[in-house]
Amino acid sequence: MWLVLCSSSDPSGLWVYEGLRQLGVAPLELVLAEWLGYGSRWEHRLDGSGTHLKIVLPDGRVLCSSRIRGAINRLLAPSPGIAQRAAASDKEYAQAELQAFYLSWLNGLPGVVINRPTSVGLCGPWYHPSEWVYRASRAGLPAPVYRQNGHDAAELGYRSLAPEGAGTIKLITFGGEVFGGRVPDRIVGACVKLAHEAKTQMLGIELYAAENGEWTFANATPCPDLSAGGAPLLKRMAQSLTEGGQP
Amino acid sequence: MILVCGIPSETPLRMVTSRLEETGTPFVVFNQREFANCEIWLEVNHGEIGGELRIGERTYPLQEFVGVYPRMMDDRCLPELSDEPPDSSLRSYCRSFHDALTRWMEIAPARVINRCAPMASNSSKPYQSQLIREHGFLIPEILITTDPELVRAFRAKHGRVIYKSISAVRSIVQELNDEDEERLERIRWCPTQFQEYVEGTNVRVHTVGDEVFATAVRSEATDYRYSTRQSGEPAELREVVLSDELTAQCLRLSQSLGLEFAGIDLKVTPDDEVYCFEVNPCPGFSYYEANTGQPISAAVARRLAAGPAHATVCSDAAQVCV
Repeated sequence: MWLVLCSSSDPSGLWVYEGLRQLGVAPLELVLAEWLGYGSRWEHRLDGSGTHLKIVLPDGRVLCSSRIRGAINRLLAPSPGIAQRAAASDKEYAQAELQAFYLSWLNGLPGVVINRPTSVGLCGPWYHPSEWVYRASRAGLPAPVYRQNGHDAAELGYRSLAPEGAGTIKLITFGGEVFGGRVPDRIVGACVKLAHEAKTQMLGIELYAAENGEWTFANATPCPDLSAGGAPLLKRMAQSLTEGGQP
Repeated sequence: MILVCGIPSETPLRMVTSRLEETGTPFVVFNQREFANCEIWLEVNHGEIGGELRIGERTYPLQEFVGVYPRMMDDRCLPELSDEPPDSSLRSYCRSFHDALTRWMEIAPARVINRCAPMASNSSKPYQSQLIREHGFLIPEILITTDPELVRAFRAKHGRVIYKSISAVRSIVQELNDEDEERLERIRWCPTQFQEYVEGTNVRVHTVGDEVFATAVRSEATDYRYSTRQSGEPAELREVVLSDELTAQCLRLSQSLGLEFAGIDLKVTPDDEVYCFEVNPCPGFSYYEANTGQPISAAVARRLAAGPAHATVCSDAAQVCV
């Protein structure tokens, strides 16, 4: 079986589930983040020979790693249900425990997982814009000058760097290809290189048209709106899942 | 110039600054408790990183720092903030200052011991165990579950079982006993980690760049860091020499995790099998140095003074930064 792991408030995840189902990827299970919260029964084992996972969902479905062939992973964080039920003094601890647990079982999923978790993001690397700009420049993408000082609120950090009113394009790199729009080959190559060097299979990259007309880096995310890639992306994802092997 | 960040009186930090002083290596300390008298700005321009850090009266170009040793406490818990309301401007400046400093350290072309991203593998013990296993170490059998029956069966299989945090928060190892079994129903609320108890000798291996310091620990406690509390006796520490093969294996593990400095927790069984429990990316090495005289702080100081690596700066755990 293949899994689509996403939240009920993730239209892109639900779109992928429907699209893959229509393309004949079966059996395909939609697993909502909310269902993984309180009510599921968990069994996650590790030893010298491998990693095992068994989840019994509240509706009785059983997800067992021995039958899982791959997954679309769009989980941003553990469902807050359990941590919310914790005593005030334990909430932060409970959240850390769940985050740590999710990182482990997601990493242990067999087959093709798009994207595999990293220690800096459950569905791929969530870098700060300062690091994305640095990486984008190194990959050959034109990038704006990034500035931050000790008075800039930390919570404002994760944002698009596109100037207000600038024309933008949202591309998706997957398996060495770029979906979602037409840009010069040089930009395509740099986008692929950025994803490759960030060691992520799927990366959404937002570009803006600078005053000189050049497509310029604005933002990147391992959890992009996949519908921007349309049917070609869906077909490529289905192929990757069913034929195995990393794209 | 070396930048050392944290609380100057904290023992590991103090040991490193003492070694820097002894070797005449120029350094400056950012005392977190004096954040209100510090300022920072950074810039990424065409892949080059610039900016300035002001500490008190002096301002340093960020490019001047060739080595950084961040050993910072949670800035939200600084005593200077204890009487501050949640929305105070001092509190928000403290957070934003530390955020800017951390962002710079993640991409700075300096030798940072260690950056946050590679350190994050330790935020999930079982995740890190999967990475450790890839490097040929044995790992203990682990069960994380919400099902009390599975825990009872796990204990019946292994005899002695320990439980500990999955994350790095409140990470104290305890042995599961009959009293604990009676309250196992509580795990239905939150997945909990259990691990087979492995008999043997604890060995802490500190790797600093390509230097290795191994310390054997004798203790009757389940978690030797709390030996006196758990067993009534302090742990006994002594320097040991690892085989060339195990030394190389430890170095490869630290490098693959992207850690310039690491504390690797091993257990060597009576059959000479080597289990690896975890890799601590911010080791409190002073305990080992004070008990054995191993010159760990001197190695850290040397590593800092060696300056930046001439490889691409990165924060990927999988990408080796040497």
